[in-house]
Amino acid sequence: MANRRKTQNIQLSVKILQGIIVLGAIITLGRIFQLQILDHQEYAPLSRQNSIKMDVVNPARGLIFDRNGKILVDNQPIYSITITPSKFEMENLAALSDILGLEQELVLERITEAQNYSWHQTSRLFTEVPFETFSAVEENLWRLPGIGHQVESKRNYPLDLSASHLLGYLREASPNDYVENEELRLGDKIGKSGIEMVYDEYLRGQKGTSYLRVNAYGQTLGSFDEGNLNVSPQKGSNLVTTIDAELQELGEKLMQGKTGGIVALNPNNGEILSLVSAPNYDLGRLSGRMDSNYWLSVNVDSLKPLYNRAISSRQPPGSTFKPFMGLYGLHTGLITPNMEIRSTGSYIRGRAYRDLADPGMYDLKKALAKSSNYYFFWMMDRIGSNGGLDDWADKIRDFGMGPQNNIDLPFETRGIIPDTEYMNLNFGERNWGIGDLMSLGVGQGMVSVSPLQMAVAVSVIANGGYRVQPHLVREIHQNDNSVSYTNPYKEQIEWLRTDYIDAVKGGMREVVTDGSSRWFTDIKDIPTAGKTGTSQNPHGEDHGWFIAFAPYDDPQIAIAVLTENSGYGSISAAPVASLMIEQYLGGDLKRQYVLDHVLNYEPPSDDEIQDQDQLIEEEIVPVIEEEAIQTEAVETND
Amino acid sequence: MINLRDFSWSVVLLWLMTASIGLVAIYSATLGPVSQFLPEFIQNNFYRQLTWIALSVVILIGVQFINPRTFQGLAYIIYAICLVLAVLTVFIGVEVNGNRNWLSIFGLRLQISEFLKLATILAVATYLTHQRDVSVGNLKTALTTVFMILVPVSIILLQNDAGTALILLTLIPVVLFWSGLPYGISLLIISPAIIGYFTVIGLYFGIAAAIIVALAVLFLQRTKWLNISALVLGLIVIVGTEVGLQHILQPHQRARVEAFVNPSLDPQGAGWNVLQAKTAIGSGGFSGKGFMEGTQTQLRFLPEQWTDFVYCVVGEEFGFMGSALLIILYGLLFLKLLSMAGAHKHPFAQLVIVCVTFIYFAHFVVNIGSATAMLPIMGVPLPFVSYGGSAFLANSIMLAICLNMDLYKRSFSIYR
Repeated sequence: MANRRKTQNIQLSVKILQGIIVLGAIITLGRIFQLQILDHQEYAPLSRQNSIKMDVVNPARGLIFDRNGKILVDNQPIYSITITPSKFEMENLAALSDILGLEQELVLERITEAQNYSWHQTSRLFTEVPFETFSAVEENLWRLPGIGHQVESKRNYPLDLSASHLLGYLREASPNDYVENEELRLGDKIGKSGIEMVYDEYLRGQKGTSYLRVNAYGQTLGSFDEGNLNVSPQKGSNLVTTIDAELQELGEKLMQGKTGGIVALNPNNGEILSLVSAPNYDLGRLSGRMDSNYWLSVNVDSLKPLYNRAISSRQPPGSTFKPFMGLYGLHTGLITPNMEIRSTGSYIRGRAYRDLADPGMYDLKKALAKSSNYYFFWMMDRIGSNGGLDDWADKIRDFGMGPQNNIDLPFETRGIIPDTEYMNLNFGERNWGIGDLMSLGVGQGMVSVSPLQMAVAVSVIANGGYRVQPHLVREIHQNDNSVSYTNPYKEQIEWLRTDYIDAVKGGMREVVTDGSSRWFTDIKDIPTAGKTGTSQNPHGEDHGWFIAFAPYDDPQIAIAVLTENSGYGSISAAPVASLMIEQYLGGDLKRQYVLDHVLNYEPPSDDEIQDQDQLIEEEIVPVIEEEAIQTEAVETND
Repeated sequence: MINLRDFSWSVVLLWLMTASIGLVAIYSATLGPVSQFLPEFIQNNFYRQLTWIALSVVILIGVQFINPRTFQGLAYIIYAICLVLAVLTVFIGVEVNGNRNWLSIFGLRLQISEFLKLATILAVATYLTHQRDVSVGNLKTALTTVFMILVPVSIILLQNDAGTALILLTLIPVVLFWSGLPYGISLLIISPAIIGYFTVIGLYFGIAAAIIVALAVLFLQRTKWLNISALVLGLIVIVGTEVGLQHILQPHQRARVEAFVNPSLDPQGAGWNVLQAKTAIGSGGFSGKGFMEGTQTQLRFLPEQWTDFVYCVVGEEFGFMGSALLIILYGLLFLKLLSMAGAHKHPFAQLVIVCVTFIYFAHFVVNIGSATAMLPIMGVPLPFVSYGGSAFLANSIMLAICLNMDLYKRSFSIYR
């Protein structure tokens, strides 16, 4: 085998081995040529994404002002801890829980939630942590890869009023919300009721982005490219509402301890001055990290504080319905302003329909002032018997009762103004008769409305025949200083003649000067017109109603008040409405006795039901007169 | 007499150039902006490497004064000592990164496996030179040679250092080939590695590789039993690889293999290092991001960027120009060494130089192959460039011995 070692063989072997070396070098060169030259465009952005973290910068939510520029809602800083699940290491769970001072299970639960939302995106782990916890996390960020921190803001309510049902609360967006709106991320708060919900897209603003340099451990090393790529967030639009903060505050104070609703608006343009639903709740406790016990209690409370009675309740309007019956009667020619009807004390039609007003001759004015039932039973009898139900329902709906009035709040309900179709549905075809319609004439039975609907309806009388769109927001001030205005409608009701309205207005004026509520509603220097109502309620005590507008000649405020289970409207709802009017038009309250009466009002219990007038004469008048004497005495002393 | 004109200055120059590139890369990878994320002992790596290089220069010069026959004479003793130390390492070694391959001698931490390479080369070369025929024509010689290599390979495997074991394993085909194993059989011996590699990438690649290898064997040697066994072996390797992948490998091992084949499957887990390494090199582009400006390097996205992934630092910061230059320097060094072997008359010197070259080459292929995702990540250093005192010293001594053989090639008797 010695000849195998000949030089030429050695040289061939060297050549072969050198060939292998050259081949290896060419393959590696080819590979780096592929990576660095051919695929460079693919890897360059990868390394940039690696070293640059995109941070979402949340915009400040828009502020909400009242009609006089007072801030109703602004923002307050809160501190949040964030997580990027893909970078988080589970072995750090114990350390993280320790720093946060929370149970491991709870932290794990939140982490799992964040993972389910997105593996790579940064989500909020905990919001509104105390500043000390926030700082502790900040100091330990280096050993908690994937954990971050963020300063955010929560809603703050600087004024001493709740306005819960009109402002509304924010809650974390639900999975459905993410699907509907791609801009939302886990932990983002969106309006879930009130103005916050309806105007959410204006208030929310545009998210910004900032680019930061980070290392493989996720530590931030300052801004990237001197922040040239950053997109600043666009602050949400500010809203100027039509709310009068002082009036709102008073309304809430007057409704304290009661159930019901107030809607006060400018009858000329539908601007809502105050909207109260009682009981209300404390928005401050639902802001930021929600007080979950409070949220639970609000949810299970039998009085349903979350329910917006001002726009969502459906109650028979009782006698407050009568002015509109009057307008319809005048339109159809059933009655004229001066036509008189003799009341016998109870209207007989199949059975006797009771009337609390004294027997005697009644024209429209007196029928309204004394709230005669006989007069309106008589009318409803004619309407129902002559097949006029559908026309009646149509015309009543023109006032805003029944249909929705398109207020800029969520959960507005329709009312019920029964027509043939409705009656057929409820009783079965031809299974109902005039007996089922009679009570509609006095706002009882199936007819049911919300305070908002009554406020819109009384506005029609106040403004001379226009149905206005009730609304809460007047101006939207965008981030770029441009202002856009909401454009509410105001529609004339064609069939409504001013002489009809004048006749009814006269009657409503007399309610205040001469009727059962005169003790509370007749304000010196502010001529008011109104109508009381007491609606029977199968579930308990009667509901009190009052609708009113003032000043009589040039109405600036129209109001509807519903106080549930509080007995006669003249003593429960009427004084509330009157105080609201006095505050709004007069600037302050001069009648301490009315205020005291409202604040200390106790609805009469079942066993002491009395005649309305008797009740007033015996219990209320003496108090008022005594107060009046005292007031006079004080004034004389001055 | 030593004639300095016979000294291979070009090899020394290539050696120093690669070492300098290594120093630059290590400086950037440990003392650049990244240093703020690194513990202090790693920040000192640059200065330690500098010291090792200085020491190696001294040793390299010193070795030139040794009679080349001495290496032959001491080969078995060195081999024995290194084996004993390697076995000791398995029991009393220091574990670093999961590899129990460090031995603390007089406070100096050495990686015995690096020196074991040199010892094995010297021992095998001495053994084969002493045989009547320097060939593996007779089976006993061949088996003894293979055994002499498998012993250190097994000990290194016990140290959990599969990368170095694989490198040493490549000596088997190289030695056998150089010692006269017919080309066809040589190819057959390395064919399982080639076919297996392509089968892991894809079954059809594996089948294609098996067919090409079988045809190549047929072209080199028309012996019926050899051609048939080439085909059968190819089939066995393909089936074995597939079965191994599906049924024998543990899930985490399979994950590593899969991550190599398709790193984007699991970019956060097993594929992370592969992806970051590729990203570093790819984002370097033609001219690189500049010294100490590589974001992957400086923001700590590369694992072990001063040793196993040092090539990524070069690729990211100096781009294609830098990484191609390094490959060309290596290529020139290897080619020069091989022609040095070819020019030598003495079989011992030839074998030592060829083996040393292929040990370097294997390191080069596995390291750059890992960094560029052509091979699964195996964690071996890049000769003269990666940080590591033992490796640099051992590699330099090997080079010094080659230079020594070359320097004395006229006086080195061709008689044994």
